[in-house]
Amino acid sequence: MTALLAIGLLFAASMAIGVYGVRATRSTTPDFLVASRRVSPGWNAMAIAGEYVSAASVLGLAGLMLKNGIGTLWYAVGFTAGYVAVAALVAGPMRRSGAYTVPDFADYRLGSERIRKLCAVIVLVIMWLYLVPQFKGAGVVLHLVSGTPYWVGVVLAGAVVTASIAAGGMRSATYVQGFHYVVKLLFIAVPAVFLVAHAGDGARTEALRMDVSDWSRPLLDLESSGQPLLATWSVLLATTLGAVGLPHVIMRFHTSASAWMARRVAVGVIVLLGVFYLFPAVYGLLGRVFTPELVDGGDTDTVTVVLPGEIVPGTWGSVLTAVVAAGAFAAFLSTSSGLLMALAGGLSHDLTRPSVPRLRLAVAAGALVAVLLSLPAQRVDINVAVGWAFAVAASTFCPLLVLGIWWRGLTPAGAAAGLAAGVCAATGSALASVLTDPGPGWLVVLLAQPAAWTVPLAFAVMIGVSLLGRPPEWAERAVLRLHSPNA
Amino acid sequence: MLDRMRRPRPDEGMTIRVLTVVQDIDTDLRHGLGGRGAPSAARRLRRLLAAQAVVLAGLDGTVAVAGPDPDPDELAALLAQTYENGTPAHRPPWSAVPLIVAGELSGALAVREGAEAELAAVGTLVSRSLDHAALRRARGRIAQAELRTLRAQISPHFLHNALSVIGARIRTDPARARTLLNDFADYLRYSFSAQGDYATVADELQAIQTYLELQRARFDDRMELSVRMAPEILPVAIPFLVIQPIVENAVRHGLEPKPGPGSISVSGFGEGPLCVIEIEDDGVGMEPEFAQAILAGSGGRAVVSPDTGRASVGLANVDQRLRTVYGPEYGLVIETARGGGTKVVIRVPRFMRGVVAN
Repeated sequence: MTALLAIGLLFAASMAIGVYGVRATRSTTPDFLVASRRVSPGWNAMAIAGEYVSAASVLGLAGLMLKNGIGTLWYAVGFTAGYVAVAALVAGPMRRSGAYTVPDFADYRLGSERIRKLCAVIVLVIMWLYLVPQFKGAGVVLHLVSGTPYWVGVVLAGAVVTASIAAGGMRSATYVQGFHYVVKLLFIAVPAVFLVAHAGDGARTEALRMDVSDWSRPLLDLESSGQPLLATWSVLLATTLGAVGLPHVIMRFHTSASAWMARRVAVGVIVLLGVFYLFPAVYGLLGRVFTPELVDGGDTDTVTVVLPGEIVPGTWGSVLTAVVAAGAFAAFLSTSSGLLMALAGGLSHDLTRPSVPRLRLAVAAGALVAVLLSLPAQRVDINVAVGWAFAVAASTFCPLLVLGIWWRGLTPAGAAAGLAAGVCAATGSALASVLTDPGPGWLVVLLAQPAAWTVPLAFAVMIGVSLLGRPPEWAERAVLRLHSPNA
Repeated sequence: MLDRMRRPRPDEGMTIRVLTVVQDIDTDLRHGLGGRGAPSAARRLRRLLAAQAVVLAGLDGTVAVAGPDPDPDELAALLAQTYENGTPAHRPPWSAVPLIVAGELSGALAVREGAEAELAAVGTLVSRSLDHAALRRARGRIAQAELRTLRAQISPHFLHNALSVIGARIRTDPARARTLLNDFADYLRYSFSAQGDYATVADELQAIQTYLELQRARFDDRMELSVRMAPEILPVAIPFLVIQPIVENAVRHGLEPKPGPGSISVSGFGEGPLCVIEIEDDGVGMEPEFAQAILAGSGGRAVVSPDTGRASVGLANVDQRLRTVYGPEYGLVIETARGGGTKVVIRVPRFMRGVVAN
């Protein structure tokens, strides 16, 4: 009950900021522009981190760590390291291009309506792959704190996020998302500190005891394949390069006033994410000691929410559970509204003619599909599904953006071929890994986390097909503009 | 009757194919004879006329050849003959028709071994496409010229008022006068700045800010001004001087005729991939029909307001330019009623190919 109350309060607070945030920030003072000229890079970075830290980070990371061992933290490394690539390769040029979405960028760089549409379709694929685990997280958390069946939680979450967007979440997102980062950090960090303090000496020593075999092995093994090194590389590649191509993240750099600011923002994000990812690790380590039974019977994704009740009994335990649940719900809310907006934008702007009613309709339709896809997905690990979304982004938009920005030889035909190859290979493997089980070996890794081969494949196809044709004559100017320092 | 029914219908597929080719040729010639599409147009013409070779020539020489290269001397003689007389010319196996655009000779279409009857018809067609291309370019130039006019058209009325307001405060409130003078300088610089067709929302707001400060001083501060901008849209590029004319319109036609205090609010926010800017005043408003007339009169024609007797060329121009840049569905939306204030809504995509702020 306490937890539901906490979630309700959080929801009300974010709605209030969403609706009044714009109003409160600018007033009648004559100097309003001096203040409003820039969103400070700090706020912007916080907004990006707020949108980026999803149920995968709050719930999934600790859950998968409990199941697969310490090596899971490579996910966190990749999620964060992605912004090094973003800052170095795309943030500045992307801002200079003026493009708001990846389809916009494709339009800017390649000037082809068809590739724009293809990109919009890929946006839909990535966003749905990413939304499913978010909705699963919401369903699981609501089930834990209130006992409602899983599907009720998922449907409710869909309704809540659609309603919040329709009621004004479309307007100013920067401050809401920034607020959510703080909420998530505090609601995960404070209980974590509390739990570590309460766990007792014995448990702390137990949690930190490392033997480099099995669970504490520093590499990540997927689906007990026996190929930990390959699996680790594949996950790292997917998460690092995936962050470069995530459509809803790229959008946020448009808010920066200049390319230089955009890079500053990306660096800020690295710091904020680095701080945040300390805490899921705490839950994973403590979960190993206090709730090992989840590995066999229950859903490991629930460990973050279950743990406080296990360590601290009584009222304080339920208060801590409530706080963590609210944090997880904040993660769900901010990430999925960002995802849904990007999805709806693609659906209403790039694939059809734009209008406001259609944008709302697209939000509702996108949420509905995500809910329907999430209902049968209860057994899929949150982090694994998010890993797929990253793998698709890494094998489609990452090559498109990186080659588009740094290589003038990219042709529309090459980009289209590479995008098609990347999206088919990556989603095909993810599907195959759900439907089949080839047993231990390298094949299972290449299906469960396909980035290791799909990313090079997409790059190779894009470069190869581009070399066969000739880039349009204005390509040189388009690329030059992305790098000219005074734009 | 029976006979008519039995008369063979022209092959439907054929008609559609021909019409499609004609359309494609028109698209190819979108940028005129010197444009990128000329070679492609020549190839299509060659297929359409089933000719051995097709040559598109401008007045200063050949622009595109489809098929085997012609003998230069032979072709030159043919073209010279065509240009000289301004009529179709034949030098077997070649024949040529002049291309007359807007009454002026501007090139020729020559074919080798093609049907002559068709050639004349196709010649007219190509001329018409070129004419369209010229008109399209002219339309763009007109919009440019209008923008230039708009930039230069800081009304003498406003200049006079601004200077006299500043003058009146030099002794009583020198600090304010100084700020106002700076605002005035900024405003002039922005309005006259000649670079580029696009500016960021932030730059546009800065211009409005200075403009409204001057107006507020004139109104002895009985004008409330509020601006609410979501920071997300400040870096968005929009056409130069689209918000300012609307604000100016709100002040001149909404607030000036109204007795007592008035207020004006400018707000902006992102709506998914769109950027929305609303300018609202609680002035005298206008008849909805009049608003409609302003927008319908887009094209730069001045519409004279029945109340103030002034022209509101600004709104029509903004509407026109938004439509030219973003397409017909992105024009201005005006919500108004007599005595009920006016609200003008600009809704444009955050990104549009070619729209980049300087």
